Amino acid sequence: MIKKIFILIIFVFLSQFFLNNIYTVEPDEILKNQEQEQRARKISKNIRCMICQNQSIDESDATLAKDLRILIREKIKDGYNDDEIYKFLTERYSDFILLKPPLKLNTLLLWILPFVFFTIGIFLIFFHNKKSRKI
Amino acid sequence: MKKQLLIIPTLIFLFIFITFFYLLLIDRNPTDIPSNLLNKNVPEFETESLFKKEKFISSEEFGEEIILVNFFATWCKPCRDEHVYIKRFSDEKKIRVIGINYKDNNKKTIQWLKNLGDPYSDVPIDKNGRIAIDWGVYGIPETFVVNKKGIIKYRHVGPVNKKNFKKLNSLIEKIKQ
Repeated sequence: MIKKIFILIIFVFLSQFFLNNIYTVEPDEILKNQEQEQRARKISKNIRCMICQNQSIDESDATLAKDLRILIREKIKDGYNDDEIYKFLTERYSDFILLKPPLKLNTLLLWILPFVFFTIGIFLIFFHNKKSRKI
Repeated sequence: MKKQLLIIPTLIFLFIFITFFYLLLIDRNPTDIPSNLLNKNVPEFETESLFKKEKFISSEEFGEEIILVNFFATWCKPCRDEHVYIKRFSDEKKIRVIGINYKDNNKKTIQWLKNLGDPYSDVPIDKNGRIAIDWGVYGIPETFVVNKKGIIKYRHVGPVNKKNFKKLNSLIEKIKQ
């Protein structure tokens, strides 16, 4: 029984590993230049699919995601650098298109609050333990 | 001290509760992403026109009157649903409407407009979806209100229906003033 459960766990972990490596880039999209293709893949992983929202365009098979993947590759071939490509996309779709929101005044709370809550949590545990020890 | 400390999580909980409650109450569409092109000039583009021989050149079209720009396609069911309201803008409100035909078949579009009526003063063709990307479109139908100076003042995502037709109308009236 334990052996079966162990095999099942291994299977789940392995399938998760392979699923994470699945991407939807179609063969005709792939650039011949390996270095350029790697750049395109890296950028695509940071760009949100605006239709599916919690997937990157690298993983999404939505038509807009495909259009954006092709566009990124065309920009790379045209000699654009990464920053210029990100700028091109955010000018049209705002920072929302970036899967990782940039640190700006309007996203400050988003970045700071986890640390604030973490500090409060540590503070509460510390005082609770101190009090318990006294009892 | 312990009682005092208990106030902190209670306050945090209340803050989160009030925030979520407020977001539930206000009239908003959580899937609606604000356009980054608001208060900016319309993107410049040149493309074929469905009915005219001359090319559609955006810089020659915008900047004289209020124009509604509607991204549509015949394969898009919500576009069919909203078509009656798009027609009302041009027929009743006498607003110029430009319909950008997104990734579609020309013959089918001509037939579609024959059957349902053609509210568009011009139909520029967006064969590969690049014009839509320049407008920040992520799902058709989408409708933009462009003012007399050629500046985008509003973006509506999704089909225009009875409810948001009124909203769009009052917004256009405001822009007119």
